[in-house]
Amino acid sequence: MSEGGRLFKFSLPFHVNQHSLKSITMYISGILYSLGLWLMIDASLFSKTINASVVHVTFIDWIPFICSTFGMIVVNSLDKVQLINSNNGMGSGFGSNLSQLQWQARIVLFIGFSLLAVGFNGSVLVLVLKFLIKGFTDFPTVKMGTENVGANFCVMLSCVILWIVSTIEEDNSLAL
Amino acid sequence: MMKSSSLSILFLLSLILALGFLNIVLSCALYNTYYPLYVILVFLIAPIPNSLTTCILQSNSYYNNNNMGYSDIDDYDPILTFQSLMKFLTGMLVSSGTFLPIVFWRCELIPTGSFLLSLTGGFLVYLSFALFGMGFTLKEENDYDF
Repeated sequence: MSEGGRLFKFSLPFHVNQHSLKSITMYISGILYSLGLWLMIDASLFSKTINASVVHVTFIDWIPFICSTFGMIVVNSLDKVQLINSNNGMGSGFGSNLSQLQWQARIVLFIGFSLLAVGFNGSVLVLVLKFLIKGFTDFPTVKMGTENVGANFCVMLSCVILWIVSTIEEDNSLAL
Repeated sequence: MMKSSSLSILFLLSLILALGFLNIVLSCALYNTYYPLYVILVFLIAPIPNSLTTCILQSNSYYNNNNMGYSDIDDYDPILTFQSLMKFLTGMLVSSGTFLPIVFWRCELIPTGSFLLSLTGGFLVYLSFALFGMGFTLKEENDYDF
């Protein structure tokens, strides 16, 4: 990483190359997604077993997580080459020279990101409407709502990590 | 020399695998809760994606030289994409095998001793599989060298 002049006094004890960094971030992204999934399962198991209140986790609490998952699938299954070509092509912005495929890529990407945003905001909405407004603010009950928010945040973070890593890879291959 | 060392490694791995299964079965049987048996299932599925990746990479390495130019030009490498997806699935499965006893323990479905036993048992099972895969690749490299 630092063949030339050094910036910091301490160097990393291991050498990080591009490939191992990519695989490590893939693993981290999978771990984050799984953390979100198990937070949701934890909330629903808590609601089923040792829940002392009248609020229970229903299908409505799962809808934001499902939206986030679909958004993550849509965003990360898109081929980033189309977007980069559209940026390299006839000027950035909403020019009229973009091909059909690039417009389709942009629309699909927009749908994916809005699904992710709907997931995260929907979880906050469920927390507010189902728990906070109705007065269930003591800790073991409101945990079901906060775990929902945490699960969707984990899925969004995992998607962001995957997106950044794939973009770095595309930049590197374009520079080559 | 090589054969005896690989054989002892095999014995060690089978010992680790048996210890892992013993831990998980003890965590079920001592506390009379049979939920931790799912840990075995998750950790048995967990090494499948990486082994699929190595299988495809090895089977594809014969005509990889022909493919190389096209993949550089097109920026389209389906094997690399598949490999990243499989790494994602591996991370997801291994961490779900870890989170499964934690969630059961937090919801008081299983007591603390059962939680610890099933966690260590699952790690031992996955450690055995991962080391087995690494040992196989090392042995094949040695075969190529000879």
